Amino acid sequence: MIEFTEEQELIRQSVSEFAQKRIAPIALDMEKNKEIPKEVIKGMAELGLLGCTADPAYGGSGLDAVTAGVIAEELAKGDCTGSTCVFYLVQASWGYLFNKYGTEEAKKEIFPKVTSGDWFLGIATTESGGGTDVVGGKTTIKKDGDDFIVNGEKMYISGVREAVNGGGGHVTIGHQSPELGSRGMTVFYLPLTSEGITPTYIEDLGREGISCGGFSIDNVKIPKKYIIGEENKGFYIIHEGYEYARALIAVICAAAGLKSLENGMNYVKERTVFGKPLAKFQEINFRLAEHYTKLEMLKSLGYEALRAIDLEQEGKGDRFETSKIVAMSKMFASDWACEAINDVIQWQGAFGYSRECPDQAAWRAVRSFSLAEGTREVMKMIVARELLGKELTSYK
Amino acid sequence: MRFIVCVKQVPETNDLKIDQNTNKTVTEGVSTIINPFDQLALEQAISIRKEGDEIVAMSIGDPKTKSTLMRCLALGADRAILLDDELFQDSDTFGTANILVSAINKIGDYDLIFCGNSSFDTGSGQVGPELAALLKVPQMTYVESVDEIKEGKIRAKAQTDEGYRIIESTIPLVITGIPPSSFQPSIPPLPKIMAAQKKPYDVWNTDDIEGDKNKFGAAGSLIKIVKLYEPPKREEGIIITEDPEPAVEKLMELLIKDKVI
Repeated sequence: MIEFTEEQELIRQSVSEFAQKRIAPIALDMEKNKEIPKEVIKGMAELGLLGCTADPAYGGSGLDAVTAGVIAEELAKGDCTGSTCVFYLVQASWGYLFNKYGTEEAKKEIFPKVTSGDWFLGIATTESGGGTDVVGGKTTIKKDGDDFIVNGEKMYISGVREAVNGGGGHVTIGHQSPELGSRGMTVFYLPLTSEGITPTYIEDLGREGISCGGFSIDNVKIPKKYIIGEENKGFYIIHEGYEYARALIAVICAAAGLKSLENGMNYVKERTVFGKPLAKFQEINFRLAEHYTKLEMLKSLGYEALRAIDLEQEGKGDRFETSKIVAMSKMFASDWACEAINDVIQWQGAFGYSRECPDQAAWRAVRSFSLAEGTREVMKMIVARELLGKELTSYK
Repeated sequence: MRFIVCVKQVPETNDLKIDQNTNKTVTEGVSTIINPFDQLALEQAISIRKEGDEIVAMSIGDPKTKSTLMRCLALGADRAILLDDELFQDSDTFGTANILVSAINKIGDYDLIFCGNSSFDTGSGQVGPELAALLKVPQMTYVESVDEIKEGKIRAKAQTDEGYRIIESTIPLVITGIPPSSFQPSIPPLPKIMAAQKKPYDVWNTDDIEGDKNKFGAAGSLIKIVKLYEPPKREEGIIITEDPEPAVEKLMELLIKDKVI
């Protein structure tokens, strides 16, 4: 089991207080209103949670990945809808990538507005034709003097409304040299307030406090400063952001599942059927033990994955070993959490199925994570690739 | 000016278990927080701090108490002192006050000493007044806010049973604070938590505070707990779920049956 530092425990305490007092009581309302209240976003910014992985020079806290995981865990315990978790994790993960590979000028321009909660920094790589197969995307980016012209579209993207209305943009990727395939892709920052961006919105099954949608990109001009990392090396760069997000998702799923089990335990201890508490039925207490064990394992693996990311940053890790452990942590994260929450819904009977029950919201939120930031199937492909070797990988 | 804030780490739960053999509450495995009234006291000190002032947070406890003191540093205290010695164990409020007085004398000059009105666990509310008595300085109690410090005097707003009173005192003195109903304890933000790790943090034992050992712990305590026990649990109530008219009839039946009316 990973041991946390004194500083991480203090951060955990602060985020827990915030999540339990300021988010938990209004979590279900966020879904009804389809937005995270401004006070909550402001509170997250004041606590230093937004863009927390950016360097202090740009208004961030320069957090390591394990500490970023501690924040994600406590938000997941407080927000049954997962809305603030997504709002946080996207900005932490892609803020990390932007901080590492972005230009000085762009970081100075964008991060202060992200960390203050005024702007949203998202990730947009999925297109209507596919998401996991990044190379299969149709978006292009072409040099135009000192600038670049982007064309294409993105779909199933979190935080579109937030960036279009409030300001900000998304880290995205396009083909700069299409003939080179994965070796010709470039990562860049795309402001969603740019001329030529036309947003569309989609109703998601869960985590409805944050918007989901897409946008067409019609001859959008971006300056060179918005290029993230080396041109044509985007395919390799973008995976570092995915991996950061995947490891955070593993911790979020574990925390959401464990929180739901806690709700379930409170219920089955109180609720009596045939003259005895529900908790006394073996069907329930065995399932509880199984779910708890799986979710604790998942949480540990999630933190191990985050630690691998930190070690790599310190020059002590291996790129592909990190990819493997991250993929292992995310592979069953959503499934195991969903199974646990589904049982908690069952234990609570009709109440479990009502919109008043936080666990149904948690189930809908967690369900998304076997798709988001790389599907369950891709996680298996990555692990198998590292075990069998690249020549036997299934995607080549 | 120097402000000293005395804080206590208390269990987070109201559902404490009692060890009948030791007459103590079981703290093993129980998560802890800063006593909420003490956080108010610290925030009162922070609210009147001017440039050049120093806020010292101080607590008696074991190494686990460090988390509470680190929170104080993250909230705005400039330095923290943990008073940790086996001899401090089993102190009643008088023993506690004696330890704090020795530590305060060791710190040196001070202007204001802030304490919470009482603690959430034992709740006797004695330590503040005893500190004032031992230090031979005035005290203000039930202080909701410190309004002004001017020319060696302090003015504060204090709660009474009927309302409020504005009170004045000379400095130095002890202030015990009580939160207004609107009080929302501040949550330390990440950058301040990180900065807190670099602030001075000391651990003092009996020798460090150079006090009279006979005044600390059980030896220096005036009160001994003879027995500690939980109040009997209240029986489960009856919920009447019928429509209003039959519900009233049923309620009357029950009240008459139990000879309430």
